[in-house]
Amino acid sequence: MNKKVSKKDIAQLLKTWSQQFNVLAPSRDSGVAAMAEWDGKDTSFLDWYRNTVVPPKASFLPPMEAMFRFRKDEEGYQIEPPAKNGQKQLLFGIRPCDARAMAILDMTFEDAYKDPYYLEKRKKAVLVGLGCTNPCESCFCTSMGTSPTDPTNVDLMLIDIGDHFFIEEVTAKGKELIAKTSGLKEATKNDEAEAEKARETAYNKVSRKLDTEGIKDNLLESFDDEDFWEKVAAKCISCGICTLLCPTCYCFDINDELVKGEGTRFRSWDSCGFSLYTKMPMENPRQEKWRRVRQKVCHKYEFYPMAFDVIACTGCGRCIRLCPVNWDITQVIESVPARVKGAK
Amino acid sequence: MTVSDISQRPKFFAQDNVYLPHIVVIEKIIEETPGVRTFHFNFKDKKLAQEFRFESGQFAQYSVFGVGEAPFCISSSPTRPDHLEFAAQRVGRLTNALHRLGVGAELGFRGPYGNSFPLDFLKGKNLVFVGGGIGLAPLRSLIWNVIDNRNKYNKVDIVYGARTPIDLCFQYDLEAWDKDKTVNIVTTVDRGDDAWKGKVGLVPKVLEEAAPSAKDSVAIVCGPPIMIRFTFPVLEKLGFKPAQMLTTLEKRMKCGIGKCGRCNIGNIYVCRDGPVFSYEQIKDFVSSEY
Repeated sequence: MNKKVSKKDIAQLLKTWSQQFNVLAPSRDSGVAAMAEWDGKDTSFLDWYRNTVVPPKASFLPPMEAMFRFRKDEEGYQIEPPAKNGQKQLLFGIRPCDARAMAILDMTFEDAYKDPYYLEKRKKAVLVGLGCTNPCESCFCTSMGTSPTDPTNVDLMLIDIGDHFFIEEVTAKGKELIAKTSGLKEATKNDEAEAEKARETAYNKVSRKLDTEGIKDNLLESFDDEDFWEKVAAKCISCGICTLLCPTCYCFDINDELVKGEGTRFRSWDSCGFSLYTKMPMENPRQEKWRRVRQKVCHKYEFYPMAFDVIACTGCGRCIRLCPVNWDITQVIESVPARVKGAK
Repeated sequence: MTVSDISQRPKFFAQDNVYLPHIVVIEKIIEETPGVRTFHFNFKDKKLAQEFRFESGQFAQYSVFGVGEAPFCISSSPTRPDHLEFAAQRVGRLTNALHRLGVGAELGFRGPYGNSFPLDFLKGKNLVFVGGGIGLAPLRSLIWNVIDNRNKYNKVDIVYGARTPIDLCFQYDLEAWDKDKTVNIVTTVDRGDDAWKGKVGLVPKVLEEAAPSAKDSVAIVCGPPIMIRFTFPVLEKLGFKPAQMLTTLEKRMKCGIGKCGRCNIGNIYVCRDGPVFSYEQIKDFVSSEY
């Protein structure tokens, strides 16, 4: 039997979970909406929250993260890995598009050489999804294999049914958490019908559509069409925001910082939009802007499908909403010439 | 070359974490040219020094602590395991810091990474090595490997060039190979000086004159990108098929393990799927950004 929770009991629910988890919830305290440590009382995000500006990947691949510390003593250099953070994170309110993005990121960080920093946090975390009731004009999740209430990549999914949230128990981890949580009410047949109606309503509200059929092959065929890419890249100002705040972008830089003999090696988000990203002392394979824009588009819609059989875009719409010059990925994808018949 | 099975590659993680470096100590520094130095080094951990394995063609990430990390191929041969070597040209921030270090200094070392030259494929073949400048570094690992297992391979030709006589790297190797009757070497410079008695001419041109036979042969090419691009057509003219031409590529890298994103050529990560590729593979890459 599924459960439900009253909206006014959300603070109580999060308090209960805080005993076991480091609970993160949408917050605007830093100036932009992001998943942040829940302050123990504020649930006002239930009113303003559509999606965070900073994607939840930041909780697993932080914008800046210490990889290890180093210092030199009489014996030579000593390497000290960061203490393993024992706290388990619970992300409350993650949107289905962003949850799908996490599953897409897992593929890279699990691949060949496992990434210990990302996976340590990821494996212990619980994702509690919150279905969208009010998708943005820039959202196109229903074209990208997910939907405003898709439970596929979360442990629990909450659906807004008026004064309650209907709770869908998705994974064993989610079921276990609910079994240990007291104070939840049983959902009725009527609640289930309401949830179903909410799913349908939300689905139909996603008005932007993108046809990705044949995109992988067509991009491959257009790869050397310099005129096309010049046009696509024309208004881009290489600010990198569409990559830094993309929930499936994971590129990073590694650098050292030395303060009074105490060193830290850290990694930080980087972007294929920046020309320094690929610059070597003697040459740069992606000096021209159109090559960098091509890399961004093709990595998501061509190379990632080649490697993992999935498009590395979930239709969250951030790159459209946040672009300072209104560059629009859906327009770009739609403008790729259909050169291959029966393309996949 | 086929993307070798990554799970089968030797892995030596420090503290079970792929990003943590081992400490190595510089044992000897050779001034190859005014801008290029070879560093001989060994692991500080004696047990690791014994256990460490790598294959010709593989690279590693070297740290100058406080400055950062950069990739260089291991330029010594696995057949001579008493120490390891890499060579670096002073061109950027990291290599400048590296060139300020002396014997006894400690570096960080992560590796070995990447695939390697396919020894099984090279076995019994005539080998034509074509190198330019510091591009001889990865080739010399394989050349010494071949010389130390000389009966496994057929004819060995080496064509090596640099801009001027003082830019020739590994001159002690060039002399040794010149004396070695089982190896045929041609050395050339773009511009000679009064003392220079050898050939003058660009590597692709000298290769064309030397005209090694393509029959049962494999060419292994490494040098500046411009040299590589002009060498492939010459080899094709000599009858080499794209599958008979190997090279090793260089890109900006941070992680070395296919995560940080920047060394890709289309869907290929040079660090993880390379750095050794056949011309047949490169030709079919989605992107010509190599």
